[in-house]
Amino acid sequence: MEKERILEISDLELHYFTHKGVVKAVDAITFDVRRGETLGVVGESGCGKTTMGTALLNMPTPPGRIVGGRILMDGQDILKLSENEIRRRVRWESISMVFQGAMNCLTPVYTIEKQMRETLQQHRQMERQEARERMKNYLNLVGLSDDVLRRYPHELSGGMKQRVVIATALFLEPKVIICDEPTTALDVVVQAQIINLLKDLKEQVGVSFIFITHDLSIEAEVSDRILVMYAGRIVELGTNEQIYGPQGPAHPYTQRLLAATPRLHEEVEALAFIPGTPPDLIDPPPGCRFHPRCSVVMERCAHDDVPLREIEPDHMVACWRCFDE
Amino acid sequence: MYWKYAARRVFYAIVMFVITVAIFSALFNAVAERVLRSQIREQVSAEVTSLGKTLIGQNRSEVLARVRVQRTAELTSMYHLDEPTLSRVFWRTVDSVSFRLGEATIIKSSAGEKDVLTIVGERLPRTIMLFSVAAAIDVVLGVWLGLRKARKAGGFMDKATSIGTMIVFGMPAWWLGMLLIMFFAFTLPIFPSGGIHAAPPPQGIGFFLDLLWHMVLPVFTLVILGFWGRAYITRNIVLGTLQEDFIMSARARGISERRVLFGHTLRTAAPPIVTMSLLAMVGSISGALIFEGIFSWPGMGNLYWQAVQQNDIPVLMGDLTITTGIYILALAVLDLVYGFLDPRVKVGGKA
Amino acid sequence: MKTKRSVSQARALWAEFRQVRFGVLGLVMLALFVLIVLFQPVLLSKADAANRWRDMTYWLDNPRYALPVWVNWFTGRDYAVSKIIPASSVVDSTSGSLRMQTMEFPYEFKAGRPPSDFMFKVGVTGRVSLAMEIVRPDGRTVTYNKSTTSEGSQILRISVAQNMMDRVFAMASSAEDPAIAASRNPRQIDSIAALFGKAQPGILSTPEVLNGTYTLRLQAALASPTAKIDSAELVIAGGVQGLLGTDGSKRDLWSGLIAGTKWALIIGLLTSFISVAVGVLYGVAAGYFGGWVDSLMNRIFEIFVSIPLLPILIVMSAVFKPSIWIMIIMMCIFFWVGPVKTVRSIALQIKETSYIEAAHGLGASHWRILFRHMVPQLIPYSFASMALAVPGAIVFEASISLIGLGDATVVTWGQILFDAFSSGAVLQGIWWWVIPPGLAMAALGMTFAFIGFAMDTILNPRLKTR
Repeated sequence: MEKERILEISDLELHYFTHKGVVKAVDAITFDVRRGETLGVVGESGCGKTTMGTALLNMPTPPGRIVGGRILMDGQDILKLSENEIRRRVRWESISMVFQGAMNCLTPVYTIEKQMRETLQQHRQMERQEARERMKNYLNLVGLSDDVLRRYPHELSGGMKQRVVIATALFLEPKVIICDEPTTALDVVVQAQIINLLKDLKEQVGVSFIFITHDLSIEAEVSDRILVMYAGRIVELGTNEQIYGPQGPAHPYTQRLLAATPRLHEEVEALAFIPGTPPDLIDPPPGCRFHPRCSVVMERCAHDDVPLREIEPDHMVACWRCFDE
Repeated sequence: MYWKYAARRVFYAIVMFVITVAIFSALFNAVAERVLRSQIREQVSAEVTSLGKTLIGQNRSEVLARVRVQRTAELTSMYHLDEPTLSRVFWRTVDSVSFRLGEATIIKSSAGEKDVLTIVGERLPRTIMLFSVAAAIDVVLGVWLGLRKARKAGGFMDKATSIGTMIVFGMPAWWLGMLLIMFFAFTLPIFPSGGIHAAPPPQGIGFFLDLLWHMVLPVFTLVILGFWGRAYITRNIVLGTLQEDFIMSARARGISERRVLFGHTLRTAAPPIVTMSLLAMVGSISGALIFEGIFSWPGMGNLYWQAVQQNDIPVLMGDLTITTGIYILALAVLDLVYGFLDPRVKVGGKA
Repeated sequence: MKTKRSVSQARALWAEFRQVRFGVLGLVMLALFVLIVLFQPVLLSKADAANRWRDMTYWLDNPRYALPVWVNWFTGRDYAVSKIIPASSVVDSTSGSLRMQTMEFPYEFKAGRPPSDFMFKVGVTGRVSLAMEIVRPDGRTVTYNKSTTSEGSQILRISVAQNMMDRVFAMASSAEDPAIAASRNPRQIDSIAALFGKAQPGILSTPEVLNGTYTLRLQAALASPTAKIDSAELVIAGGVQGLLGTDGSKRDLWSGLIAGTKWALIIGLLTSFISVAVGVLYGVAAGYFGGWVDSLMNRIFEIFVSIPLLPILIVMSAVFKPSIWIMIIMMCIFFWVGPVKTVRSIALQIKETSYIEAAHGLGASHWRILFRHMVPQLIPYSFASMALAVPGAIVFEASISLIGLGDATVVTWGQILFDAFSSGAVLQGIWWWVIPPGLAMAALGMTFAFIGFAMDTILNPRLKTR
């Protein structure tokens, strides 16, 4: 069943212009986000996951710049909008984001009410009382009581802050919510609570999630489709079943990544690890970027750039071994 | 909650003042006692001389000698000079902490009094006036420029003014004062070379204008040296804040750039900026010393200068005690303001 | 392996430092200052200028308040340049039992203003009579005689401004309007201006310069058998002298500035090195040991920051009259608090990292962990704070000197400024005495600021703009 595509990203390129050279953090990435789904994005630290997330809001952190590609939303390229229009129509209105380390995402000198109200007022004409009702509703939805509103961020626990951030991400009812490592800084119990909360919300609210994490076991829990990134590129994109199912993922990197992850509900005998480090993105290796670390490397991997191709319906891979040629 | 914190901080400041004064008393014990003993000798001599004029009789010199010995002993014990060293230091500390700073040897107040507290006290407001005016201008200019720098960090204006900061970094304010006096009082005599008033001081509104006219050069000097540093620090604080996650988060929420900058950023950066600015004022109390001497500004700094030149130890010590007291008080006020501005401290949690 | 790592770290740091242009400029300037110190003997105008700065007899040949020579470039060679002229001819003769020596010293006078003095300087031994005659370009002469007897060798200075006023007055009066001449006396006129003035009415009041060759003829009669004269020179104390002119005590300010460079560097570097080293160790120790040690150390630290720096240093200097070395120690006593707070928090962070725990688990001693694992990580930060502490130390010493409490056995920029300020140079507009020492201080301060700020930018990635 083909769901409606609400975001279409094609050939997106984002480079960091540092004095050491140009870092190609996101390099010609193409994918889409469908209504109501959760798209998981995984990869090691520094592979460009977070950068890609901020790119979707057209908010690269300096010295980064989006240098190419399109992001289509309702058929319109948001990269072509003016800063003002992006602020009014895209940010939080259509796409909201729960940033990595959400505990630091609340302005420490404002009360929760003040920052939530400010966001609301920026986007909606609303009576004070109505706004208050709305904030309360969403705080309740994420399992917080009303009196959180008059608190300062430092008076809340990490899990509570995370819930506030999620409530804030929801309460304008956007189409897509990007969650960037939403559970990393939390302890295990709270982690599980937040994951369950997100799963519930998906059912109740019906928004799409882009769920960025390096933890494949969490992805397995929450995601409908998984996008695997390596060194600024997509190496594999498939459904939960295709990646986590008995047949296993197609790309050697995903395989190794999976082998290096302790499963939530399985006994682990030995954790494999991937030798080597992710490549320098200023001067990436030619051919397949994973080939220096790949255990099943072939000759052509070292010099032929590898494209992302569909090997079965909804399953795309960038690996010469997987192509029948 | 805040009041508890405030009370604790003020109490702590008092303790610090007592400790520092005790250190000074121990450090300068020998010289302070030498002066005190000679002051006692002088006083006794004066008493004996005046007594000698009224006394007639054959055992006159005998009586006078007895009175001399007796009075010396009395005064010595009054100032605890007959006690062991530790106890002498203790009593000096007690005296200093309760602002009994003794008598000057040479310097007098404008009314001719020799009490050190009076001498220092009449100069205190002048110092505070000069440096608070300068610091206020300096901070306003500095924060304004710092904000502009942070907004376009790495741009031409930012870089140029940062270089400016570095150029004046090691420049003594008093030297610049000398240059300006040379230029504006000698080459192009439009400002007075020093002092606080023309002699005789004009009356009414003229008095005030005359004061301003005398303040122009010193304030100008302090400001053009000071605001660069203020701007640079403000820039760094704001730039640091701008890179915080919550700023990115606010931007992502579609908050307008103006509100992000003047709301979230500035409000968060305010406590450190205010601290930094107040610290600059406090620092200028310490730096005032030389500066006032150059401009013959009759404040506490100039008093050090005079006391050193006339070797008036009690005034020197008294000035040091009062300066230290103000310094510690200012540091306490600074913490209190910070605590007031930053909700994280106000609650009394770990800051 | 350890050294290898630190070498590669240093290399990486240097690679980044090189990118910061003003940082490199700072290093170049520092190298320049070091070169000045190394080549001090060559740069001083007189060999003992640094040691005998306060010996006023050492500077007697110089003019007082002479402008820098380069002032002439802007005023069309107006001022006479200081000059020492040796004898152009020496003739020995005898007249009876007397031995005679005749010398000539020609002085080519081309400047638009007269020099500040015209002096004959000679070393004499035994009984000597000197007959001097100054022959002006227009043929008029001024004569002066002097006899002296001395046991050993003695240096004799005969100056027009001090010794020959009457003679010059007599010479000039003959050309002046008699009425004016009668109304003046030799003490009231500028005898140098008259000596170098055109022989016309006004020579006493508003003299015009007479250019040409002025020759000093000297006839020395050596009356005793052992009598002799040596190293005879004509000293023209000009209106301009040296790169930076002279001060009110006739000292060459350029030499003072050069001599002060050494002390500025010593004071700045030593103070900042000692105090930052102490502060860093203190902060690391407090952060590492934690607990009651940390609290105690924190209390002690608080006491030190509660004392206003300059006042306490001034009072201590006034009471104890320290030498320059003691003063450096005094500054260190109060300067070390600078890096403590930052270092302590960095140390706390390092302590949390697992490899310190690992080292601990492996049974490494406290000292080993402190010095092998924690301190090395703080070295870049320490360098930055050292660089930034240097200007402060220099300014503090200068401030103490300015009040008149400096160590009189050395030459520092602050002391030169003290001399200038206390002799009223500021209000008399003697800019060449006031500007250079402060400018040197500012330049050295700027040098270290460049280096320190550059390191700061590297160490605080948040401040990076690119």
